[in-house]
Amino acid sequence: MTTLRPFSCTDMYRFNNVNLDPLTETYGLSFYMQYLAHWPEYFQVAESPSGEIMGYIMGKAEGVGENWHGHVTALTVSPDFRRIGLAASLMNFLEEVSEKKRAYFVDLFVRVSNQIAIKMYTNLGYIVYRTVLEYYSGDPDEDAYDMRKALSRDVNQKSVIPLVHPVRPEEVD
Amino acid sequence: MSRHVQNADSAVLERRLRPIYDWLDSGNNKKALQECDKVIKKTPNLQCAKALKALTLLRMGRENDTNVILDNLNAEKPIDEATLQAMTLCYREMQELEKICKLYETAVKLDPTHEELHTQLFMSHVRVSDFKAQQQSAMALYKQKPKNPYYCWNVMSIVLQATRGEGATDPTKRKLLLSLAERMMKKLVDDDKVDAEQEVQLYVLVLELLDKYDDLIKILDGPLGEKLQCANLSHLKLKYCKKLNRWTQVNVICKEILNESFDRWDIWKEYVNSVFKSTNSCINGDSQEFSGDEFDCADNTAEKCHEFICCVIEGGAANDFLLRGPFLARFELCAKLQENNIPSNDILGDIIELFVEYFRKFGHKPCCVSDLRIYLKLLNDEQKSELATKLVKEVGIGPTSIPQSANQMQRHIGALQLSRLCGSHRNLSPEHLRALVTAFILHYQHGYQAYGKDLPFTDLGPSDNYALLAAHVLYDLSRIENGVDYLIGAVALLESLLKNSPSNFHAKLLAVKFYHMLGDGMGANNIFYSLDIKHLQLDSLGYIHCGQLATTGLYSLCAIHYDTTLKFFSSNYKDSTDHLTFSYKFGSFHKLDEFMDFRETMNNSMHYTTVVVDRIILSLVDCSRLDSLYNLDISPKDNKIEWDKLGDNRDLKVYVTWDPEFASQDIEESEEIKQLYIQDLKFLKLRTHILWSLSCGIEVLKSLDGTRQKHIESLQKILKDWKDLEDDVRENNLKPISEDLIAYPPPSRLHSFLQTSYRTSIKAFMDFFLALAADNEQEADSTCKNAELELESLTQRLEKIVMTAASDFREKRKAMELFVNSLEVICIGCVLCIMSSELIKPSQAKKGKKKQAPESKLKDFLHLLVNQLKTQINKLSDLLTNWSNAVIEKDLVNILESLNLNTHSSDSHKNITQSYAVSCKEIQGVLKNKLKMLDTI
Repeated sequence: MTTLRPFSCTDMYRFNNVNLDPLTETYGLSFYMQYLAHWPEYFQVAESPSGEIMGYIMGKAEGVGENWHGHVTALTVSPDFRRIGLAASLMNFLEEVSEKKRAYFVDLFVRVSNQIAIKMYTNLGYIVYRTVLEYYSGDPDEDAYDMRKALSRDVNQKSVIPLVHPVRPEEVD
Repeated sequence: MSRHVQNADSAVLERRLRPIYDWLDSGNNKKALQECDKVIKKTPNLQCAKALKALTLLRMGRENDTNVILDNLNAEKPIDEATLQAMTLCYREMQELEKICKLYETAVKLDPTHEELHTQLFMSHVRVSDFKAQQQSAMALYKQKPKNPYYCWNVMSIVLQATRGEGATDPTKRKLLLSLAERMMKKLVDDDKVDAEQEVQLYVLVLELLDKYDDLIKILDGPLGEKLQCANLSHLKLKYCKKLNRWTQVNVICKEILNESFDRWDIWKEYVNSVFKSTNSCINGDSQEFSGDEFDCADNTAEKCHEFICCVIEGGAANDFLLRGPFLARFELCAKLQENNIPSNDILGDIIELFVEYFRKFGHKPCCVSDLRIYLKLLNDEQKSELATKLVKEVGIGPTSIPQSANQMQRHIGALQLSRLCGSHRNLSPEHLRALVTAFILHYQHGYQAYGKDLPFTDLGPSDNYALLAAHVLYDLSRIENGVDYLIGAVALLESLLKNSPSNFHAKLLAVKFYHMLGDGMGANNIFYSLDIKHLQLDSLGYIHCGQLATTGLYSLCAIHYDTTLKFFSSNYKDSTDHLTFSYKFGSFHKLDEFMDFRETMNNSMHYTTVVVDRIILSLVDCSRLDSLYNLDISPKDNKIEWDKLGDNRDLKVYVTWDPEFASQDIEESEEIKQLYIQDLKFLKLRTHILWSLSCGIEVLKSLDGTRQKHIESLQKILKDWKDLEDDVRENNLKPISEDLIAYPPPSRLHSFLQTSYRTSIKAFMDFFLALAADNEQEADSTCKNAELELESLTQRLEKIVMTAASDFREKRKAMELFVNSLEVICIGCVLCIMSSELIKPSQAKKGKKKQAPESKLKDFLHLLVNQLKTQINKLSDLLTNWSNAVIEKDLVNILESLNLNTHSSDSHKNITQSYAVSCKEIQGVLKNKLKMLDTI
């Protein structure tokens, strides 16, 4: 049960219970501000009945021609509010916005080791479109799956034909 | 032909400049400078190279050289974009944003058809929030290039004049400006020029500010509404109908939304609210808003409302996810009934049963507790304790049994948390509480063994919450029995939990808090690092660690944390104007207000301002030479602190609590937090007087005879203001806020500040300094004696307090804070001695006209004072040694054994004592340096 509303600057003062989770990155301010200024409609926060921040999603729309698509930049849910379908509603929201923007597909990157997330995205209809080698820096670097789901505009599901060969991060547009 | 030549030229130039940009980007300023000089040698008139040189020099810290180049360039009136950009960067880094405006104003005059220059001029006005100038430049730009975005910049600039400019204080002006904005948008619509969604959004924004909700609804229903592709039209409509008090319509819209998405909690709340609103408006007979059909399907009685909720529940029964929305809506309905003094039993049945039923359905989800806690206010105390008993019974785990599944365990945890929220841990005997702790820890350990192993280290353990509950009860015990052992036990428990779940940030936050209460700053620091707190969290969570370090004497840690914090704030303040320009660029006008507020919130952070002051005082503690004093920027935030705007940006809710006081009430709203804000503000203001008086003293020192009197007078004024403020604060007799509840942040530093004779000591030194400045031997004599006495009583008072302090780590921490304070006073006394010494130093110019005799007499007085300082420093040092040697050795075996932890009693103690030892060492180091420094006077 959620209240979905646009993310606002002051939420950054309150999202610690979500962001202190080790799998959620806290970015520099400018990063959030850029998304808020450019794609405010794609940045939504889910609030619990008691007013806590349960999670949020950040995204954007980009690409030209048939590559015009929605992208999930960050999706996170507080440990206290997992397994109640929250990530699904947030994803659903982002897909709806992308539909309205007449995008062809939605894509996202996920660590190949993050089995729980991969499984969730698969359940939501996403497929592994390609592997991006050493996308996440760290020790050692980790590969990412570029996962995709076609939207209604991509009638022939052209955007979700998986690539056979992995790509390097610099080849990702 | 000529154009071609020009292009070739610019290509060559670009190639030459490229390396400079590259070096700058990679941060190699030295190489960049070499490259600049090389290019300037080849093309001495290339403005851009000079501008880049200015930027490079600035980054190398040579601000003066930068300014010389910039002034020369300005005289040349550059219009080349790259040059202007480089100059903009310089001014931006120096925070001289007005100069950027001037720069582009000149350029636009010279090249009035240049779109990019106009744009930059507009943005430069945005950076300084000059809305009028913004408007003018947007208009000029639109005249050059009639594009919609520029038109909208113009309109938005008018809106801002209305909301944040002159209209902010003048309602007529506001109305006038907003109507102008509305007319301009309407013209765009009438001319059929509206194209992008952002333009409609701006129109909506203007109409909202004018409260023209009817017009807004029309827009939503018309062709413009179609352009609002990203908005949820029915939600917007709902918002406006609400503003118009059209409750029937609100009700119908809510139902439509809920029938589609029954989990929208905000809509459920609106729905229930609208039921009661329309009931009331029917009674009042003012129901002219609806058409017949709508009225039929609107719910205007509690019965109909309940029916609708039940319908949704039944309809959703087939759904995969368990729907919490409609079930919780019943509580909302119940709350509204209670508010209106209508008995709820007839419709909803026994209210306790409602809770039990909800718990039965959703108790295995952690969110169940968060859902129900806000409605516990519907129960009276008796009902609460009945509910607590029922819930625990419902789970089916007695004193001798353990959960049979992870689900059952979660239900057990939820029941325990809710029962604490119901107040059932209150008024229990210490024995009973100890038994609870033991039981919780056993459950934790069992749960860890049974369900918590083999989880990824990033997961929180499923039974961790038992241990957290135990830590909370241990805290209760430490308050009730005034036993510090419980706190040490709690830390040991949390540390052992963190071995199993290294990512449990709740445990870390608690541990940091407890460590600080015990005075173990090092222990707190270790845990704090593992929280990986950064960026804005330095503000919202700065209070848990950085804000506490100032009282520990761990100076090296202080310096690190202060500098990180200050760097974040200053660099983000510079960046924050860019965010405003992005908003215009992308047309997200509705975010502008928010961005501007946010910028102010950040800049007016109380934590930030406190750290600014603490950092300067820390530098004063380190300061041992006149030139380093001169180099210190002693005016906090350039004396531009807006005291009445300072705000508390702490995220207090990051600490989970199951204390009944905060079941539904926000901690921010509590009386204690309001008190704390007042106290912190007073503390900061008092503390800033140290800096103001010192900075004024430096002016006295630097000034020549002619202007000196003026500075002396302002110094006396500051000292007087300080006294007035302090008297006022003392008169109010502010008490430290309660520490009984775990969610309260630490009490203000005000109290220990007032316990230390900051003002009287510093004033005594200042008086002496002023007597020297006035060349008044008699005054010097008496003020010197007075300062000596002040110093003596400073250490005497400290001795009295610390030597009688109980052998409890919490008391010890407070004593340490007083040591740290007294050391600050001593160090500032030392700084004033340096200044006094400089003041009477015979200079070349003075030598001729002044008599030698009184000067040396003044020097004698200074030496008397210096000697007294040395005496007191030695005393303080001995006192610290004696105090820290008085080790608290106590047996913790009992408590640790009862916690069933494999921690050695001596280890826990040793760690805490070690942290104190580090503090003492650092303080002794400072004292030693001061003695050395005083020898040179």
